[in-house]
Amino acid sequence: MFNILRSEWIKLRTVRMNFVLVLLALAFPLIISVLTAALVNINDMDAFDVVDMVRTTSVITAMLIGVIGATSITSEFGFGTIRPTFAATPRRMRVLAAKAIITVVVGLVISAIVVVLCYSLASGILNSRDGNVSLSQVGGGRTALLGVVLFSGIVSLLGYGLGLLTRSSPVAVAVLILEPLVAEFIIAGLLGAAGLNDPLKWMPYQAGGQLFSLPREITDNNGLGRVPGGLYFLVVAAAVAVVGAIVTNNRDA
Amino acid sequence: MIQVHGLTKRFGRKVAVANLSFDVQPGRVTGFLGPNGSGKSTTMRCMLDLDRADTGGALFDGKTYSSLRSPLHEVGALLDAGYVHPGRSGRNHLRWLAASNGLRKARVDEALETVGLTSVAGKRLRTYSLGMRQRLGLAGVLLGEPNTIILDEPANGLDPEGIRWIRDVLVHLAGQGKTVLVSSHLLSEMALMATSLIVIGQGQLIEQCSVDDFVSRYGEHWVRVRSPRVANLVEPLRAGGATVAYADDNTIEVRGATAVDVGELAGRYSVTLHELSPQTGSLEDAFLKATASVQEYQAGAL
Repeated sequence: MFNILRSEWIKLRTVRMNFVLVLLALAFPLIISVLTAALVNINDMDAFDVVDMVRTTSVITAMLIGVIGATSITSEFGFGTIRPTFAATPRRMRVLAAKAIITVVVGLVISAIVVVLCYSLASGILNSRDGNVSLSQVGGGRTALLGVVLFSGIVSLLGYGLGLLTRSSPVAVAVLILEPLVAEFIIAGLLGAAGLNDPLKWMPYQAGGQLFSLPREITDNNGLGRVPGGLYFLVVAAAVAVVGAIVTNNRDA
Repeated sequence: MIQVHGLTKRFGRKVAVANLSFDVQPGRVTGFLGPNGSGKSTTMRCMLDLDRADTGGALFDGKTYSSLRSPLHEVGALLDAGYVHPGRSGRNHLRWLAASNGLRKARVDEALETVGLTSVAGKRLRTYSLGMRQRLGLAGVLLGEPNTIILDEPANGLDPEGIRWIRDVLVHLAGQGKTVLVSSHLLSEMALMATSLIVIGQGQLIEQCSVDDFVSRYGEHWVRVRSPRVANLVEPLRAGGATVAYADDNTIEVRGATAVDVGELAGRYSVTLHELSPQTGSLEDAFLKATASVQEYQAGAL
């Protein structure tokens, strides 16, 4: 299994497109955080605002990580490299599991770097401007930032699963991004009209978003709660990936 | 040794390969021939478990492909040189392949040197010509120094020097006792490198034999006769049931009689011969004749 992990790691880091996506995933929240902390009126930004900014901008990182997850497998189908891959490792489930592990670990690491750097830089800049920002001032703030990292890891797994199921980069990326922005609200609206009570909280991204919500937001929104919501999102992402893997294992490569 | 037994593969209602069985012996290059759409590539994909066969399968030295723990050590296969990521370098393409089977990193550079791509190994694959990709594909095949080699149309895109090179490589590998199965549309090349043939049509086995037997069985045979008085032989030959055609004023081609028959006749009529040579048709002629009834796609007359 170690050999397959090493092989998949080489694949991931030897394609320039992935570097561009990682660079974007790192640069976007960092630039926003630094500029905001440097330019904002010092009285308009407290510790809560910093946490809020970091988790909001990091969701963009999560989506880009999801795109990396999706294209890590769709590009294999697109360019036909899935065939030499499966010829080199006929036990396909091992390859698919190794790819999932690499994708999720990369997603978690990038997200952790983004969250730590964004918070450290923003709070450091604000404090150097005579602000008084500390994570301890925000109840549940540390857990919310950890939740952003976990959320990103699950999105990368979901992206990978969608890539396995659709075998198409545009379709997988479109579903990954449009699902939380559009589809969840439409589906929840239809379910609500059908009489289901508060269906939005059962939508995968909405439930996953509980991971980086603050305690008072979870209570206000009547959400599933941090751990149940996160687990629910993980189960959905894992289910998509497992179904995609089973289909890929049974179909012609 | 490769043993394919009872292999059947359907795509919907279309039967691509039907109960196909053949053996590929070590120590020789075996050509895998068939018209377009005859099921050669599907057979090769099924052998490697890339396409899931409906029934039957292939054994490599007695083992199924899916049971091989490090297949690159045992079977080197190149089905399509285009199966590469264009943004990756040639060296990195081989690196992930080598890593997947735990091959040492040095093998990558050795394989690149063998196929003559060392100087462009760092360039991205979108800059490679089809011929260069074929060479890279062959480097991937050679990475694990396997005992069995399977190549689908390896000469595609290669220049004449490249075609000769790949022929020499395959003959050399077969000479080392390896099992080599290669499909190609270049029948003249196949005639030069293969000693055995497997011919299929519409997914079924048409013939499995040596190249010589195949040409002897399906190829045309005639006798070429040259003499200043060759006209004196034409009528007696025709009277004996042979077919005679003039190649030029002094040369005839005789079908339906052996060189011995013609020689005896020439002696009887005191005709001095300047040439008496048995002729055999090409592998291409034999192939076309053998597969005439199973051509999937037939062109109309021009």
